[in-house]
Amino acid sequence: MIMTMLSKLNKFLSSVKLAIFLFIAIAVFAMVGTFINQGDTISRYKSIFGSQTYHVLYWLGFLNIYDSWYFIGLAVLLIINLIMASVNILPRTLKAVFGPYPSFKAMMDKKNPKAVYEVIESKKNIEEIKKTLNKKFGKPFTEKGNKDGANIELYYSKNAIFRFSPFIAHFSVIIIIIGVMLNFRYGFRSYTNIKVGEKTNVSYLLKNQKPIKLPFIIRLDKYETKYYPDGIPKSYISKISIIKKRTHTNVLTKNVMVNHPLTYDGITIYQASYGQYKPTKVIVRILVLNLKEPKFRKYVYAETGKAYPAGIDNLNFRFIPYKNPKRDEIPFYLKILKANKKNGTVKTILFHVLPDKNLKEQIVFAKYKHAAFIYSGIDKVKTYYYSGVEISKNTYVSIVWIGSIILVISMFFSFFFNHEEVWGSLTNLEDEKKVRVEILAIPKKKFESFYRNFSKKIEIIKKELKLK
Amino acid sequence: MFANVSALDGSLYFTISLFFVLASFAGYFIFLFTGNKTISRISFGILIAGFIIQTAGFVIRWIYAYKIGIDTPPLVDLYDSMVFFAYVIILGFILIRIFYDFDALGFIITLVASLALAFASFSPLAPSAIEPTIPALQSYWLLYHIVALFLSYGAFGASFGLGILYLIKSGKSNKKQGRFLTLLPSSNIIEEAIYKVIVFGLVFLTAGIVIGAAWADSAWGGYWSWDPKETWSLITFLTYMLFIHARFTKGWGGKKMAWIAVIGFVVVIFCYLGVDLIIPGLHSYATPGSAPLL
Repeated sequence: MIMTMLSKLNKFLSSVKLAIFLFIAIAVFAMVGTFINQGDTISRYKSIFGSQTYHVLYWLGFLNIYDSWYFIGLAVLLIINLIMASVNILPRTLKAVFGPYPSFKAMMDKKNPKAVYEVIESKKNIEEIKKTLNKKFGKPFTEKGNKDGANIELYYSKNAIFRFSPFIAHFSVIIIIIGVMLNFRYGFRSYTNIKVGEKTNVSYLLKNQKPIKLPFIIRLDKYETKYYPDGIPKSYISKISIIKKRTHTNVLTKNVMVNHPLTYDGITIYQASYGQYKPTKVIVRILVLNLKEPKFRKYVYAETGKAYPAGIDNLNFRFIPYKNPKRDEIPFYLKILKANKKNGTVKTILFHVLPDKNLKEQIVFAKYKHAAFIYSGIDKVKTYYYSGVEISKNTYVSIVWIGSIILVISMFFSFFFNHEEVWGSLTNLEDEKKVRVEILAIPKKKFESFYRNFSKKIEIIKKELKLK
Repeated sequence: MFANVSALDGSLYFTISLFFVLASFAGYFIFLFTGNKTISRISFGILIAGFIIQTAGFVIRWIYAYKIGIDTPPLVDLYDSMVFFAYVIILGFILIRIFYDFDALGFIITLVASLALAFASFSPLAPSAIEPTIPALQSYWLLYHIVALFLSYGAFGASFGLGILYLIKSGKSNKKQGRFLTLLPSSNIIEEAIYKVIVFGLVFLTAGIVIGAAWADSAWGGYWSWDPKETWSLITFLTYMLFIHARFTKGWGGKKMAWIAVIGFVVVIFCYLGVDLIIPGLHSYATPGSAPLL
């Protein structure tokens, strides 16, 4: 009872029908995933589909379909199907390659609908007939005669070894899946944005934005976009340094570009995006003038927030950005302090644009008593870039590649190399002094070309056997 | 000026080849109704001439691209990919025609190839100017990825044509056979050809997907990202896997197989063009100027 149930379960789990069902089901769900943007934010979904539809889609798992329980369930079922099918194919394959091979009679009794069967009667002797058959079908694989020598059974087999190719093809898919699972379990894919000149050892997982710590520190030394003459980007280059955590020594520096990642310690860093950011700290070149002394000129490279001596009347100044600058407005103001007072602001003064239309660049100035502070456009000073890098640990990926290569090769052999089997039976018809030659061939695939070739061979054999 | 550029960059040759393919199409069309073997032979000759012109076009275009400083093969934008598609589908037909007596297939193949070439040559969506290659595509993987996949697309295109022939043939086999049907090879031969062409395509499709995954691994941070194009290539793969495995189940005769061959190619076309037109992703030719990644 249990055995029959198990055998039924085995039959179901290894069946081609299940495989076909799974191919269709996986394809359909995969399709759904391409029409609904996966992994978007809830607010975006609500704005696209409306709140109600969003809840339905969410409940169906359509918003993250490739991680949904049923999609993974179908994949698992496919893996089981694959393994069971492989296990079931193996004994049959082994038997076909290494024997024992089925006898002529056993094959005749099977009445395979693909089979072709020919009977020829010849007056030649058995040895001659064998020679003729061997010419057409190759060396007989096995030859069995019964005791009195009245009957000989011949078995021809060509390309038997290729019976393994479908088995290997299925097995290679299992190898690929093992590689994928190991990679999923022990690897990660993450991204992080780094500003030029800054360091980080934190990266955020792509799947859930959770931060992870890297075993080393990365620093972005430089970012640059190169362009073709017509303005199309040619390359995005991030100069990245790897720094050891404990010793803080620079291990290596490399230009990371799209298609040219950097791998260190099993972790690969890819160029993924870039951008400009509004700096919180800005250094601006400021010209300080003394309106009473025309010869007085002083350049100050001022970082925002820090106090610098103006060199006039013991004044210090601080260059401060507005928290939320409006568009087209000057994003800074000045604070003037007395040098001998601590933190005491004397006055806050605003910048103005110099109203002169002949000037090429906008010049901005501020005045406190006879001290004037001038700068022209901060964009000129520096562009602030950050680079988005993807940081992945693709461990066990080589298993995936090995499986893939085996898959492609074994597919090629399963499609283009067929096992060819021919059974022959030669029976002495004593009273008539004739030999009855029976030939049975069963192709693996029901192809017109096979039958045509086979009948051609039979024609030739018939001709030769009838000659005296 | 325009003519000059098109002669230089090879696009003129593809436009010329379009007229050859159209002429061949007309020949095969006449052949369908007359059954005149001479006409089909002439059509085949014209098609081969068109194929040679296209080959020349590719050589010229490739050399031109290198001359103007683009060091990846010109296969990436919509124009080039359509032209290349027409090229491989014609190549596929020529190969089939050498081995089998399949003149009737010429009608469908030249039709599909003409449509692809006409779209490439005249649609404003597919400008023929060679654009510099964006960073994501500057890789030696590109050539192998595209060639493998286009060989498979070509094979699937041929199987689509064969599938249609099979369905026409089997749909009327019991009623009277018109002239067109008598010109077709027997259903069994078509069925075998469908299988052989599809398995050829399937080997290259699998290889192409694997190459693409390896490339993604070295350029995008992972071998599989469920990008729409990737997903649709998986769907295509599953469709043809269905074809291969369905043979082993009872009740899946030639007719159903022919249907899978036809539907499979619709999936291929969606994977090839539909994904770009409808869903934005990392791969894109159909939206001009949009950079995949960055």
